[in-house]
Amino acid sequence: MNRDAIQAVALKDMQSISSNIQIWLPLIIVPLIFSIVLPGGLILGLRFWNLDSFGNMGVIVDLLEKLPPGGLRDSILQWDLFEKQVVYFMVNYLFAPLFIIIPLMISSIIAANSFVGEKERRTLESLLFAPVDIKSLFMGKVISAFVPAMVVTFFCALLYGLVVNSTAYPLFKTIIFPRLNWIVMIVWVIPASSLFAIFLNVVISAKVKGFQEAYQLGAMIVLPVLALFFSQLTGVLFLETSLLLWIGAAFFLIDYFMLKVISRAFDRNKLFESQVK
Amino acid sequence: MEKVIEAKSISKSFSGVKVIQDLSFFIRSGEIVGLLGPNGSGKTTTVRLLNGVITADAGHIRVVGLNPFTEGDTLRRRCGVLTESAGLYRELSGEENLLFFAQLYGIKNAVRRVKELLSDFQLTEHKDKKVSIYSTGMLKRLGIARALLHKPQILYLDEPTTGLDPEGARDLLEYIKNLNQKYNVTILLCTHLLKQVQTLCHRFIFIHKGQLLEEGTLQELEDKYLRELSLKVETDLSFHGQSFESYPILKKEPGAVVFRVQNKEAIPLLLRKILKKGPLYSAEICGRDLETLYFKVREAHKHE
Repeated sequence: MNRDAIQAVALKDMQSISSNIQIWLPLIIVPLIFSIVLPGGLILGLRFWNLDSFGNMGVIVDLLEKLPPGGLRDSILQWDLFEKQVVYFMVNYLFAPLFIIIPLMISSIIAANSFVGEKERRTLESLLFAPVDIKSLFMGKVISAFVPAMVVTFFCALLYGLVVNSTAYPLFKTIIFPRLNWIVMIVWVIPASSLFAIFLNVVISAKVKGFQEAYQLGAMIVLPVLALFFSQLTGVLFLETSLLLWIGAAFFLIDYFMLKVISRAFDRNKLFESQVK
Repeated sequence: MEKVIEAKSISKSFSGVKVIQDLSFFIRSGEIVGLLGPNGSGKTTTVRLLNGVITADAGHIRVVGLNPFTEGDTLRRRCGVLTESAGLYRELSGEENLLFFAQLYGIKNAVRRVKELLSDFQLTEHKDKKVSIYSTGMLKRLGIARALLHKPQILYLDEPTTGLDPEGARDLLEYIKNLNQKYNVTILLCTHLLKQVQTLCHRFIFIHKGQLLEEGTLQELEDKYLRELSLKVETDLSFHGQSFESYPILKKEPGAVVFRVQNKEAIPLLLRKILKKGPLYSAEICGRDLETLYFKVREAHKHE
């Protein structure tokens, strides 16, 4: 591995992203909606309007009533008011999958862009003509997607914490976020799942012909996260600390095997012949 | 002189289509060699094979004594390539592009080297502009500057003058010549613009459909392919008939006449005979430029 080259590729890619508002603006807007508008709006709404005026609250009401006995049920039912229970559940459980979507989205878009982007700008050729091993180029690409994803996610989690605690404080008179499950999610699950998204997208983008195709294939990664969201709504499973530890471990394991496959499959000649015209 | 590039019987196919077939050639240290052929004749593929970014199906390549496929990174450290598209990042400035590639190539004192090259290629005043607004000439110059960052021993230039205006092309070719003379850089220049490189290259390699048609210096090609010469003589004399003193007349123009001569040795005699009759202002051998030779070579190998 060539540290200079890794650093050069990673910094160059991050510079390219930050210099193009059309790329980074959408990457910031959705996370800001997830971390400010959505939780802030819902908590304020619940505080100032009657719970019944929210059409879909029935689902959550049902759900909370049917919670299985255990830590989760106790932690939610410790609150006397129904409004508090709903807010507590949303803040600490329901919104968690949205925060997995943030880094997945950012890292997928950047990673999908990585090799296809070089190809479409006809710069992949220059990179492959350089005396740099493919692993270093690949590593640079991975870092250029991983770092922005992590930075934005941590920043959004911080904002989310501020928004949630400040809007919910008048109701609870105490700080309700974060619980341990969120900390595990941010430092364990999100890095693991982001790496998975990046590896997947780098592989896809090294194989496909253009951006569109890369994005479409890459976007499918959001599906299992949506499944998590709905599984909580329907009470199938909840993102508690133990489950998150398992999910993170599973992702890291998959990451490890993907890396093995990638390092065997990534070859200068193959990449050149398939991607450079 | 030592051979720095040697290719023996190389072949390459892409999805069943033969792009390079049994191609052999060599290049000596310090030469400027023109690799000439029409579009799709395999010039770019040859450069890629020589740099080890694609593998040959058959044959044997040595560049500065290294095997491009097994010692690629060591070899690429000593070679510079200007690809046809220049391969630069349009969203970055000229200087940022060079600094990026300098870091990628692990160049010490990158800032100084970049500054030096920007000034050599008259790009200093444009260094902060994004490459997307560069003119074709600036783009090509920046591309060559990029290829020279690590002071390569061998420089490959793929269609360096395509898209340049005559002035830009002349400046660029002048720079290439200078580079060769000053730093003894061996240069392989791929082009189909024959007129521009006629005086620049020491030697030429003609390829067609991935096969070697011919190679040699201009003189060697002339000796081999020009069976007879056309001599254009500027004179006030008027000639009648199809010949003069047994020299066939090919064409008569106002104030000039074109003769056919068997070889160069026949020229002084013809000129002396004309001078005896009247004034002679100039005499020039026509049809021995690279382009004419190229077509003669093509013609000669048409049936192969």
